Amino acid sequence: MFQPSHNETFYLRHYESPRMSHGFMDRIMGTRFDLLFFDKIPAVSASIWRMVLEELSRLHGMLNRFDPMSEVSLVNQKACRESVKVSNTLWDILVACGDYHRKTVGVFDITKRDFSALHLSWEDRSVFFTDPDFTLDLGGFAKGFALSRILRILLAEGVRTAFVDFGNSAIYGLRHHPYGNSWKVSISNPYRKGEIVEEFALVDGALSTSGNTPEYSEHIVHPRLGEKITCRKMVCVESGDTVEAEVLSTSMMAAAPDQREKIIQSFPHVRFKEIKL
Amino acid sequence: MSHKRKETVDLGLRQFIKDLGYISGGAALLATTPWLQSFTPDKARELKREKARIGLIGTGSRGQYHIHSLLPLEHAEIVALCDIYPPNLESASRLCPQARQYADYRKLLESKDIDGVVISTPLDCHAPMVLAALSAGKHVFCEKSMALTLDECKEIYDAYKDTDRVVYFCMQWMFDEKYIKGVHMIHSGLIGDVVGARCHWFRNHDWRRPVPSAELERQINWRLYRASSAGLMTELACHQLEVCNWATQRMPESVLGMGDIVYWKDGREVYDSVSLTYRYGNGVKITYESLISNKYNGMEDQILGNKGTMNLATGMYFLESQDNPVNSGIEQLLHQIGNKVFAAVPAAGSSWRPETKKEYKPHYIIEGDYHVNDGLSMIGAVKDGSEEMISAFCQACITGEQGEDIVEEAYCATVLC
Repeated sequence: MFQPSHNETFYLRHYESPRMSHGFMDRIMGTRFDLLFFDKIPAVSASIWRMVLEELSRLHGMLNRFDPMSEVSLVNQKACRESVKVSNTLWDILVACGDYHRKTVGVFDITKRDFSALHLSWEDRSVFFTDPDFTLDLGGFAKGFALSRILRILLAEGVRTAFVDFGNSAIYGLRHHPYGNSWKVSISNPYRKGEIVEEFALVDGALSTSGNTPEYSEHIVHPRLGEKITCRKMVCVESGDTVEAEVLSTSMMAAAPDQREKIIQSFPHVRFKEIKL
Repeated sequence: MSHKRKETVDLGLRQFIKDLGYISGGAALLATTPWLQSFTPDKARELKREKARIGLIGTGSRGQYHIHSLLPLEHAEIVALCDIYPPNLESASRLCPQARQYADYRKLLESKDIDGVVISTPLDCHAPMVLAALSAGKHVFCEKSMALTLDECKEIYDAYKDTDRVVYFCMQWMFDEKYIKGVHMIHSGLIGDVVGARCHWFRNHDWRRPVPSAELERQINWRLYRASSAGLMTELACHQLEVCNWATQRMPESVLGMGDIVYWKDGREVYDSVSLTYRYGNGVKITYESLISNKYNGMEDQILGNKGTMNLATGMYFLESQDNPVNSGIEQLLHQIGNKVFAAVPAAGSSWRPETKKEYKPHYIIEGDYHVNDGLSMIGAVKDGSEEMISAFCQACITGEQGEDIVEEAYCATVLC
């Protein structure tokens, strides 16, 4: 059962005409989470919302590297000395991260140092680091992965229309707005209040954005070069897959021009948009 | 930040007050700053060629700072200097060689040709010197804080109520343009109801002066010893607490606080770290903090209102609503759907993060150049109202007009220390 910590706020609100449920949770994976879904009576929507909260809470507890008891923290503490068996979920995540590392010509790197020092043993699903100063950071992956799990719950529970907003930067629109043919999402320029720089129309699609803002810059680091990405730009990635969108927005923000070309070629079905601010 | 030097020392503030009176209505200005009602360009012209004859008691760094303020004034003349520490007396004498020199302030007070005295001495000397000067019939300008003990403050206040002499305590921010206009804005409702205050003064310095020989330690470093000082509270906090009272137009009714010597364990007796919470009768609180082993936060006094924040020390204010829209994308989307509207949701952009401090757009209390005190000087900041206040005192020595509420403001601030 989901157990919020004392400083979390969350609620579920119901609206009629159209029938709509709005679930909100703050301080999950370092940000806030909003879910709008439609056409469910309150008892059913409460049950769906509970499943969503439990899954978010489970993933948060597993992937948060700032929590010393999380599974990722335990791996970070032990895997440089011994092989550490991991849960099925974390195993799937690490395998997927390896695939994305290859497809992004090494730009997407959860080790931020040297992905080759991360060894995955398929026999017993264990992890071993050959570099003692090495930690896993799933910051550019976790929200997209969590969105994919939430989407799986919604579809399994018969939700056909929904809008999910994970911290403003990872969004999924299931089907379309009740009064429109898509979920229209606009991108604001963080350096110029009120200026809209791009608009997306999502239909069964994910949008992930990555970029610097006046308040929050230099948080993206090129894994190989170790350089902070300080330029005033934003990258938006639209894809049918929430994880892919999340991984690629961070990667494209950090990638050098030649790497960007290769990444774009590897993902021909994905829409990339780089915006100079 | 720089400031434009005015042609005369105090004309800038005089004109500023006159202009402010025109803009806001004299009555409103009078309510905010009653002590300024006679500090106008017209009043300066009325002084004609009269001069206040001033004697300085205490000619250390702060005394010499006042000498520099007095020398350019057309309505003041320094006629006497007094100090028990010869090197300071000699330095001061070089600035005004025509002034007579004394080693005993009581002898100075006997002089018939002195209208007023400027006292810049250790805190424990304030009460005996102020009381002696008033007894001698002199007008008095004394450094803050008012006095070392509550009883001394009361004794001075009673003496002030019984005298026809003018008494000023150097709470100079009462004469600083950005404070005057900022507090006037608060009283006009710009930041809504005042709901709190946060003040701090941080330095990273031992607060010591070099001592030529050991027996002079307590005389020169008087700020560090309990017999002559209450430390950070009387030397720094006093100014900021005065501003809080001025802004709220109230006096705190209770206080919780603690102090310690955390870092400078060098034989000093006063705290190098203090934290206090003052509570006004309406529940509004001042959170006050000062320490001198970390200067990251600098010096600030923030008056918090439900519609904005006035940061008087930096001359800036910040509004809660207009610059910082509260409607998130999801709230707008809910509103759209409720109204059957299909439009774009400004949801995507930078990641939403927990409620860490946000950047607010600053607005400036005063247009154009103005000076900001970095809080680091042990002597006094440039353009912080000190020059104007001593000019007002000299004017009062001539006219006999006491600046209204000046003693009361100093009294209320000092007893909080």
